[in-house]
Amino acid sequence: MNRSLAIAVSLVAAAPLFAQDARQIVAESQKRARANSQRYEGVLEVVGAGNKISKKSWVSDRIGAFGNSKVIIRFTAPADVKGVALLVVNHPDRASDQWMWTPAINRERRIALQDRSTRFFATDFSFEDLEERDVDQFDYKLLGEEAVDGAACWKIEARPRESKSSQYTLTRIFIRKDNYVPVQYESYIKDQVVRRLHETDIANVQGIWTARTLEMTDLRRNSRTILRFEKLQYNVPMKEDDFTVQALRREQ
Amino acid sequence: MKLALVLFAAVAAAQDFSQRGFFENTGLFFPQAATNDSSHAVGEWLLRYEASYKLAPGLKISGSFDARTDSHHETEREFHLSWWDRERQRPAFAVRRLSATYSRGRLTVEAGKQFVRWGKTDVLNPTDRFAPRDFVNVVDTDFLGITAARVTYGTQSDTIDVVFEPRLTPSRVPLLGQRWAVLPAGLPIVEEAPAFPGGPEFGARWNHIGAAMEYSFSFYNGHDHLPLYDARLALAPFRIEAQRFYPQLRMYGGDAAMPLRWATVKAEAGYFTSTDRRSDEYGLWVVQLERQSGEWSFIGGYAGQVLTRHGESPEFSPARGSTRAVVARAGYTIDTNRSVAFETVVRQNGRGMYFKPEYTQAFGQHWRATAGVVLIRGEAGDFLGQYQRNSHAIVSLRYSF
Repeated sequence: MNRSLAIAVSLVAAAPLFAQDARQIVAESQKRARANSQRYEGVLEVVGAGNKISKKSWVSDRIGAFGNSKVIIRFTAPADVKGVALLVVNHPDRASDQWMWTPAINRERRIALQDRSTRFFATDFSFEDLEERDVDQFDYKLLGEEAVDGAACWKIEARPRESKSSQYTLTRIFIRKDNYVPVQYESYIKDQVVRRLHETDIANVQGIWTARTLEMTDLRRNSRTILRFEKLQYNVPMKEDDFTVQALRREQ
Repeated sequence: MKLALVLFAAVAAAQDFSQRGFFENTGLFFPQAATNDSSHAVGEWLLRYEASYKLAPGLKISGSFDARTDSHHETEREFHLSWWDRERQRPAFAVRRLSATYSRGRLTVEAGKQFVRWGKTDVLNPTDRFAPRDFVNVVDTDFLGITAARVTYGTQSDTIDVVFEPRLTPSRVPLLGQRWAVLPAGLPIVEEAPAFPGGPEFGARWNHIGAAMEYSFSFYNGHDHLPLYDARLALAPFRIEAQRFYPQLRMYGGDAAMPLRWATVKAEAGYFTSTDRRSDEYGLWVVQLERQSGEWSFIGGYAGQVLTRHGESPEFSPARGSTRAVVARAGYTIDTNRSVAFETVVRQNGRGMYFKPEYTQAFGQHWRATAGVVLIRGEAGDFLGQYQRNSHAIVSLRYSF
């Protein structure tokens, strides 16, 4: 799971810097975040009811760009999930394929994911929130400008097209005007905000402006998940052969 | 000694070294006594340590070690380190895995004691031929490693897997004096030393991952890791002498998984032949539907069996004993620390049933508690039903590191 994956609406195509067209703004945002590969150590805190905190951490490797990438996530903590690994193979034309390796049974299992509103490992991110998405599967509307954390942002509404199945009716995206980093997403079901993703700790990592802390709030459950990217690197040399079901097994 | 400690510390501190493990304390509580076992409570303790070290790019050593004991003599009370897992009781100390893995590009070679798992379905895997298990408790099993060489070559879309096992690792069967071995009342039965086969096992599997579905074809030639029994009546003294043996077995199998809009269909089938006329010839198959819905996961299906030749020897086969049955599993994630799971097998003729609800909760970064109930009902002539007096509660506490 990387920043580009974690962002619900990250899209394709280039656009003039000063364009006010909503689709071109989000496309430019994605273009600027593009990298051939990415590696990071994710540290995740789920803050549930009563402020109970549980922590998870993993190492994530991604090869390829939006729509055609492969990701391997290997959990490193807590101790009883250490060794659990997830392989996600994204396709431009269909839903991703996913396999999970569980050390306790020494076998990989193909994961059934018909319902993408399912929470990712009991966090406040749903599997859909982590998917890469095609720009052509949404309609965009520029709603205006609004500041988030003191920075001027474009406020854009993205509605899934009829061909696109989504748990959300629409998502409002806030993209900073100075560096095109998306800093907030508000996802709606009908007219109610159900999830809010807030991105902070923005830094220039190897020429790519990146938010290194994501806070997802599930407003219905009244819980939130904070994900921090540590040791983030882009364009790390990686091999396709390390992103297969076979590799998932041999690295255990 | 000091040098060894320094070296170990240096290795452990290296980035290429990883380790994990757990200590687990399990209590099983049986409300009913069995005809051959009057105990109502069993305590089990297991320490498992796993480590791996990358010696060089593409070359890794992996090891796993078990130390265990219990209150019911399921585990040996003598000190020796087991490699082959052929002991009647569980060994107190065992090498669970010790293998070297070499990978280069599309090729992966693993040699040594390891785990080889085939198949795609859950609850029952007919094609999983290199996966012997510990059946000392028939409904709470653990896999045993095998000593083998495994070569895997391929890409994400097509993979060939070839396995050679020079010496059979048998499944561990229930102990005669305990409740999971249901014996005829009034007949003294003595178990003789088992007749282990001498020959090797060989298998190959081709797996294809396509856009619409994923499927495999597999072949196995060797011996069954589940035993048949050769039983003889002795008159002086009057008793039955039983000997385990492991018949020659050949399997032709296949499995598939197809994600659909509403569910994922998984299927697996194997046809088993033998040159040993004492053994049955049969086919086993499983079809299951799998769906994730919110925090629920559902697996439901049917396991079938077709008998094509009837052998003459009695057998111990939990796999076949769980066929001609509806199988189902459901899980619900309550939150990041808590979950519940349900598993059931119900024979189609209603003569046997197994149901297991289980609750698990994590505490902090290291502790996890599990509490569950195993309910078994049925008739004495049914594989599941024969364990009707073995319904029990399970409580376990695990510290992972």
